[in-house]
This record gives sequence, C-alpha cells and structure tokens, in this order.
Amino acid sequence: MPPHFTIDDYVDAEPRSRHSADGEPGPLRVGLGGPVGSGKTALAAALCRTLGAEYDLAVVTNDIYTTEDADFLRRNAVLPDDRIEAVQTGCCPHTAIRDDITANLDAVELLEARHPGLELVLVESGGDNLTASFSYGLVDVQIFVVDVAGGDKVPRKGGPGVTASDLLVVNKTDLAPLVGADLDVMRRDSALVRGEKPTLLISLREDPAATRVAEWVREQIRARALQEA
Amino acid sequence: MSAALLTLADSRLPAGGHTHSGGVEQGIEAGLVHDPRSLATFLHRRLVTAGAVAAGLAAAACGAAGDRGALDALDAEADARTPSPALRAASRQQGRGLVRVGRRAWPTLDWDALPPTPHHAVALGVAAAVAGLTARDAASAAAYLSVSGPATAAQRLLAMDPLTVAAVTARLSSEIDAVAGTSAAPQGHGGHVGPLPAAADPLLDLLAEVHAVRNDRFFAS
Amino acid sequence: MKTRVEVVARRGPGGRTVLPVVSGSGQLAVRRTGPTSVHLVATAFGPLGGDDATIRLVVEEGATLTVHSVAAAVALPAREGERPSVQRVVAEVAGVLELRPEPTVVTARAHHVAELFVELAESAELTATEQVLLGRTGEEPGRWTGTTRLTREGRPVLHTTTGLGPGAPAWAGPFTPRAYASTVHLGREGTAGTGPDAVRLPLPDGWVATAWGDRLHRVVAALDQLDPDRTPTGAAAAG
Repeated sequence: MPPHFTIDDYVDAEPRSRHSADGEPGPLRVGLGGPVGSGKTALAAALCRTLGAEYDLAVVTNDIYTTEDADFLRRNAVLPDDRIEAVQTGCCPHTAIRDDITANLDAVELLEARHPGLELVLVESGGDNLTASFSYGLVDVQIFVVDVAGGDKVPRKGGPGVTASDLLVVNKTDLAPLVGADLDVMRRDSALVRGEKPTLLISLREDPAATRVAEWVREQIRARALQEA
Repeated sequence: MSAALLTLADSRLPAGGHTHSGGVEQGIEAGLVHDPRSLATFLHRRLVTAGAVAAGLAAAACGAAGDRGALDALDAEADARTPSPALRAASRQQGRGLVRVGRRAWPTLDWDALPPTPHHAVALGVAAAVAGLTARDAASAAAYLSVSGPATAAQRLLAMDPLTVAAVTARLSSEIDAVAGTSAAPQGHGGHVGPLPAAADPLLDLLAEVHAVRNDRFFAS
Repeated sequence: MKTRVEVVARRGPGGRTVLPVVSGSGQLAVRRTGPTSVHLVATAFGPLGGDDATIRLVVEEGATLTVHSVAAAVALPAREGERPSVQRVVAEVAGVLELRPEPTVVTARAHHVAELFVELAESAELTATEQVLLGRTGEEPGRWTGTTRLTREGRPVLHTTTGLGPGAPAWAGPFTPRAYASTVHLGREGTAGTGPDAVRLPLPDGWVATAWGDRLHRVVAALDQLDPDRTPTGAAAAG
C-alpha cells in the first residue's frame, strides 16, 4: 500500500444507508429463500394475507423460468398487480439474490417509487438449494424455508441458508408422520447449528395465516423503527 | 492499460449484466444457436453490430463525462440506433445498474450529468472516464461486454462446455480489438453521417421483440 | 459520373402543391408525372461503381411530394477498382414526402451505397420505402450498404446502417438474405410487431419495418403485413 493511503480510502467509512431524500428509511426488506417446493411462495402469500391489512406491502418474485410464482401470488395473496414485480434471473437465481442483486434492487426501487408509503417488501428467491442466501445489500433480514418432507437431516446438513438466516422456517410439519421425520431431531439440530437464531416449525396447511412467522416479521419492523428512533 | 478497465469488463461487476442474454436465449429458441460454431457466428455478428455501436457511444460518452448536454445528445443518438423497444429497455436497465455500482466505486458529481436511466454504453463511457480510463478503453469494455455476457448465457442455457465457450470468446479478441479501435476513432463520410457507428441488425431486433413477449424465459433480454 | 437531382415542392395558390424547381443532370432525369409526384428516369446503365448521385428534395410546409422511379436500378461493379456506387437522398421536409422507388438490384461484385438523410420539421410527414435484391437470377449476390438518418427538429429519430452481401460484417450465419425491404414512416404512430423474418419497431410518431428473405416479392408481401395502415386487400394479397 502506498505510504499516504489508509484503508479508509478503500472502504466507505459509514455503512451505506438507504434513506431517501426526505429522510424516510424505506420499507423493511425481507428475503424469503429455500429449496424448490419448500413453500416459499405459499409463505409469501400467507404473509401478504396476514400482514396486508397492517402494513403497506409489496412482493418481488425471482421466478426461475416462468411467471408462475408471481401469478400464484396474484391469485392467492389478494395483492394488486402493481404490488408484485417479477425479475428474470438469467438461469441463476442464486446470483440474482447474492452476487449481482441489480435486477432485484431495480424491482424494489420500482415498487418504492410506485408506492411511496411502502413499509414491507418481501423478496422471494427462485427455488435454489441449501447454499443459497441473500446479500444484505438487498434485504434487511432473511427467512430460510425448508420442509419436513426433505428429511429430518436437513438442519444438521447446514449450509448458509440454514445456519445464517435470521429465521429458519421448517414447513409442512403435518407431513412428519407420513415421511418418518422426527421433528424433535430437526428442532434440536437447528438449535445446534443456529445458536441463538430462532427456528419455527410450522404447517401452512394447518395455519394458513402463518401466524408465528407474521409475528416475527412484525417484531423486525418494530425493532427497525426503534433503531431509527 | 489500467486495472480499472479489468474491473469495468469483469462479469462479476454487479451491474445486472448476468440477467441479459443479448439475444442468445431467443437465438437458441429459434434454432440459430446450438453449438460452438453457431455461437461464435452469433457473437461475431453481435460484436460488429450492437458491439460496434456501443463501443462508439461509450468512447464518445467518455469524452463527454460531466457534460449534461452532450450526454443527453449521445443518449438520443443511442435511442436512434436502438429502435427496438426491448433492446432499449435492456440497455437502459443495464445503464441504471452500472450507474448504481459506479457511484459507489468512483464517487463523483460527474454521474449527476447522466440521464436517470441512461443507455448502458453511455453510462459505460462515463464510468470509464471517472475511473481514469481513456475513450479507447471505454470502447474496448463495450465491445468485450457485447459478447462476454451472451457467451455466458449460451453456456448456461445449452449446458455447453465452459472451456469451449471461453475459447470462443478468447479467439474473438482480435476482432474485439478491431471493433473497439475503429469505433473509438470513427471515419465519417459524405459530411452527413454522424461519426458514431450505426450498424443495425434486423435479426437481433426481431429476436429481442419476440423474446420480450414470452412468459417463459430465464433472461430479461 | 456525378448525378444531381433537385426538386422543391411548395404550397401554391389555393393550397395546391407547385414544383418551382425540378432539375436533373447526369444519369437521372426528373419527370413531373402528377400534381404532386415526380418520377426519376435513368438515362444510362447503372449506376456503376464510382458513380455518385445526390438527390436533393425540399418539401415546404403545406406541400406534398411523392418520388417514384420508372424502373429497377441495376447497380453494376466499377470498370476499374472496387469503388461503390453511391446514391444519396438529402431531404428537408416541412410538408409531406413519400419516397417510393422501384427496387435496387445489386449485381455480382458490385457494391451500392444508399443513403437517406431527412430533416423533418415539427408536423412534417415522411414515408420512405427501400427494396433491395442482391444479384440477378443465377448470379452471385452483390453488396449493399444502406444508411438512414432521420432527425426531427434536430433530434435524431432513427439512425441505422444495414450491410448486406459478401463482405458486410453481419451478413453471415443465419442472416444471409438476398432480398431485403424496409419502410419507414413518420407521421402516425406504430407499435412493435413481428412476423417470420420481419419486424416492425415504433419510432417517435412513426415506425420502421424491415423484412428479409430469398425472394423479393415474398419479402415485400411480409413487409406489407406489418404495415399498420395496410388495407384488407393488401393482407389477402400477401397471404
């Protein structure tokens, strides 16, 4: 390094804040990730239905190929079309939420511009594998969704989504007896790899409102408001 | 040569390029791209048309960095050379992405002289200027990016051997240099033609428009 | 050889168009063939490589001008060297201009350069067609380079250069048509549209459509399909 340089010449001293010109912090951005079929879109729809009346919210979907997820949300989430944006991920859903988040940022900013009072944006990733995780340049917090049908070894296998997500959701607990999965094992392994970070075992079939996940999201919004204050 | 040029041309620069196939996705659907040879042909035609236009615009924008009027004029020239609405949208989307990362990497007021969602080539020229690069560097980056992104897209969509695709791109190097060189120092003729390259490709326009109305696609363009 | 053509169309008494200037020299003569139309008449073979023609058109506000040609132009190679033949149309339009020439046939080893530069005033209208066939029957294709630059009140609306034939950089692989046709219109809006080997793109207050293929009559029919103002009979004929 040349003698007159300090490391501060190379990094932004302050973390980049997303505050808009009028000082508003912008909506809380929640990432929803997880393997194909684990119930990300169903959870997004549930959160929209449960939280839609409390918060000004919108959704970004990262459909892998078709606009199926976006279409599902339109049908099931009682969200108007102008609150759902679908982005193409160039065959690489993982890249679009972690390495080059441009298309997702464009979508979030478009929604923010369209709905100035927006309080919550759910960013649903395209179905990926256990290594997928969101960049914190894109989201404030992230939820990783796995399901019981994938086997009770999933939490133990770990991966960034399982270990580092802010909330781990184990969905489809109603299927546990059918697939021979031991929920206690999943609960214990999750605690082991996640430490203090919360895990919720749920069944969207039995609780279509995703009550506990919605409550966790409310907490995040409140915590952020306190931080801002 | 500066390392900043490598940064600008790096496919990992998070400017949104990875979601665009430069017509390759529709080219595959239409049966025009299916193997290394047809990919090389496709990349070459893209280089000498869209690539040349982008290189010329990027070089000119590099010289016009900070000059709002000149950049607006170049952006209008880019529109005139990009009549396809799908290709215009793709270019402006990538321009916006580049400005976003460029502002962070090279903070300067020169970014404010660009239109809000500039054409990618125009933004690329300004990025080159604020990174301390030359007009020729800007042209090189534009020409290279006109084939590198589509090559990766073909690799993903056709599950092609990445070594083969790398070889195809690498062997286009001298053509890329030639396009960058002539586009950065254009020769007008007749006194009427603007000095910027204007090579059109009706086939790429058609592919882009057909692609844009599909619901089943991996890439934004 | 140098060819110079100049036509000025002006709004005359009672709103009728008059043509105060109608002049041609070199290889093109100009015949007035209707109240608002002229035909260009070739007075020699060609153009030959090295020939240079400039057609200057001025259509003043309130005037209308339509320019036809009487027969296909057959571009031939230069007797010596490899110089292209050039035909340049330079127009200033405040009224309504239509350019509807017959096709250009570019023979083997010939290179023809066609340039169209039009500056339009705010309410001006333009329709310009181009039909190109590379090579006569059974002959190798020639090369054609067409540049169109349209500006309205100084702002560029369309600026494209299309290269066809051997030696044109993008005339390769899946795109080696022998026949090509395009229509550009400014005055009424058009949307994007596509057909097999044909595409229509919107422009500010207008559109540009392009079609290509092996046979000119089919290409022209495909282009007609994309004309937003086409009549039902035109559609039937194209099908």
